[in-house]
Amino acid sequence: MGGQACVLYGAAEFSRDTDLAILAAAENLQRLQNALAELQGERIAVPPFELRYLEMGLAVHFRCRLAECAGMRIDIMAKMRGVAPFADLWARRTTIESDQSSLDLLSLPDLVQAKKTQRDKDWPVITRLVEASYFHQRLKPTPSLAEFWLRELRTPQLLIDVASEHAAQAHALSGQRAAVAAALGGYQALATVAREVQAEQDREREADRQYWRPLKKELERLRREARSE
Amino acid sequence: MIDPEDLVGPEWAEWYRMTPQERWDASARMWADYLALGGSLDPEPDSQSPFFDPDAPGAGAVDGRPGLRVIRRGGV
Repeated sequence: MGGQACVLYGAAEFSRDTDLAILAAAENLQRLQNALAELQGERIAVPPFELRYLEMGLAVHFRCRLAECAGMRIDIMAKMRGVAPFADLWARRTTIESDQSSLDLLSLPDLVQAKKTQRDKDWPVITRLVEASYFHQRLKPTPSLAEFWLRELRTPQLLIDVASEHAAQAHALSGQRAAVAAALGGYQALATVAREVQAEQDREREADRQYWRPLKKELERLRREARSE
Repeated sequence: MIDPEDLVGPEWAEWYRMTPQERWDASARMWADYLALGGSLDPEPDSQSPFFDPDAPGAGAVDGRPGLRVIRRGGV
């Protein structure tokens, strides 16, 4: 669900870890534990690898020691702010097959949602992900693609173009996204669209900080506990 | 219609035009180069991450090599 998924969808991230979104269920954790044991994965930080912490929304961090993947970090999460429950994510996942294996990725809309964090570095990635989708598929747009672009494009020029090309959908969504309402004004409204996109980002980042406030306290508590042991 | 080149420049436009497999392969080649140069797999400390722990000890490179380091730097 992280940097590797971004590369496959058209953004580029030099992510040094592998992020996995998993179903938080006891039997699934056991399977994952077995797989991590094969990779000689060691947990390297709090929280412990327990269901309750995953259900809380915390990530569990591992480093592999097996020679073939020595040093590789694996981060595991089961719940992300604003992102649908795992069953929905799984139902609409993207599967990419290569010669050797297949990869199950978060769907692009879910990945975009997961990237709406408080971190600076995630926002340019969202921009790239949606731009890549638009440039790749703009000649064969479907109503659901147009809606995705209208909801998520962060590039003012492209949002204006999509609002013009899909005016009825843009009007229908304009009450839900101020940037779309502004984009209906065309290129004259370019600066307003950019301001609205930035305002969205500021709101999401603040919402993410609020969401994490109690979780960070829990992490701090767990760190204190681990250090005193 | 805006051309990708006009918006994001030629390098990004080329990246966008690749297939997922081509991007995956290109990324793998960059990774191989990075690791061959001694690059570390430890994520860079990210003080904006909710998981950032300022007191966490940095992990050494798994193969004992020191990783990349700056040996000359400009004035800034």
